[in-house]
Amino acid sequence: MAILATLMQGRRYGLEILRSLDGTASLALAEGTLYLILNRLKGDGLVESEWIDAGTGHPRKYYWLTQAGHERIRAMAKFWAKFSADLNALMDPARISMKENIRDDE
Amino acid sequence: MTSDITDAINQYCARLRKALGKGSSHEADEIVLEVRSHILERIEAEETPTPEALAKILRAVGDPKELAAEYRTQTILHRASRSTSPWLMLRATLRWARKGTLGVIAFFTMVVGYGCTAVFFLSAMLKPFFPSRVGLWLAPEHTLSFGFWNGRLSATEIYGISVRPPVSFVLGTLSPTNGPVRELLGPWLIPVAILCGLLCLFATTFLVRSLIRRFGRQRRDLQFSHSASLA
Repeated sequence: MAILATLMQGRRYGLEILRSLDGTASLALAEGTLYLILNRLKGDGLVESEWIDAGTGHPRKYYWLTQAGHERIRAMAKFWAKFSADLNALMDPARISMKENIRDDE
Repeated sequence: MTSDITDAINQYCARLRKALGKGSSHEADEIVLEVRSHILERIEAEETPTPEALAKILRAVGDPKELAAEYRTQTILHRASRSTSPWLMLRATLRWARKGTLGVIAFFTMVVGYGCTAVFFLSAMLKPFFPSRVGLWLAPEHTLSFGFWNGRLSATEIYGISVRPPVSFVLGTLSPTNGPVRELLGPWLIPVAILCGLLCLFATTFLVRSLIRRFGRQRRDLQFSHSASLA
């Protein structure tokens, strides 16, 4: 999901995707595994790719979302929004109790 | 970049290609090319590209054997999710079973499902040759068994599928009981066995394939790990 979400911002190559994810510690990804996932996403028709000579001395493989990829990420985002809202509602009592504890400590 | 570093990158890529599988696979070649491009990009970003820096990058990319094992699991599960071949699905679930509980459940479901299918088809095939030994048997204690009876009234054994309401299920040999046993279907056993076999085959294939598809999506969605700890 995170990889597809990263590609919503446009064409990216592997290292760029990793850098985007590195900014969010909980989404950090083992580097070699990224290419296996991208390969499978491509097999599923969710992303497309192309080798481009970026003038760095070696080509880079750029990925972008297909129509099916866009639809999948939208569906996932919808599911995630509902899931996190439900979980937040469940966690509310715990948050209130945590705030009260902090007030008591002060 | 020194020749030491270039050699080390070449060696790493050669190990990865070898681990990904024998023969030529365009997909595997692409992955190796991409990993090479990634390593080069990372090492060129270093102020001083030293062998130590490269070793750190290679650790972050991952062990070639582990990457290849992950790739093979992905590949076989992907193929199985689009196949109806029992052999392919059995291999896929066996590999998946090494990864976690859901895989063990899928593998077990598959073994039991295809085991039952085999019993039904074998019974249909053997019935014309052993008409008095193959059947649907009502054994003592309301046990219902489908398969081959050893022909004894004491120390009775039935090889096949046995169920005893409400919860007992045996695939294999029903433990010795004392007769009598009664056959219920007669010549109707053949069409019933073929029908049950087909139902079992389709139900197992459909169920396990859906589990594999679901698992494939979950793996991609949740395949995040703490690469920081590897780096």
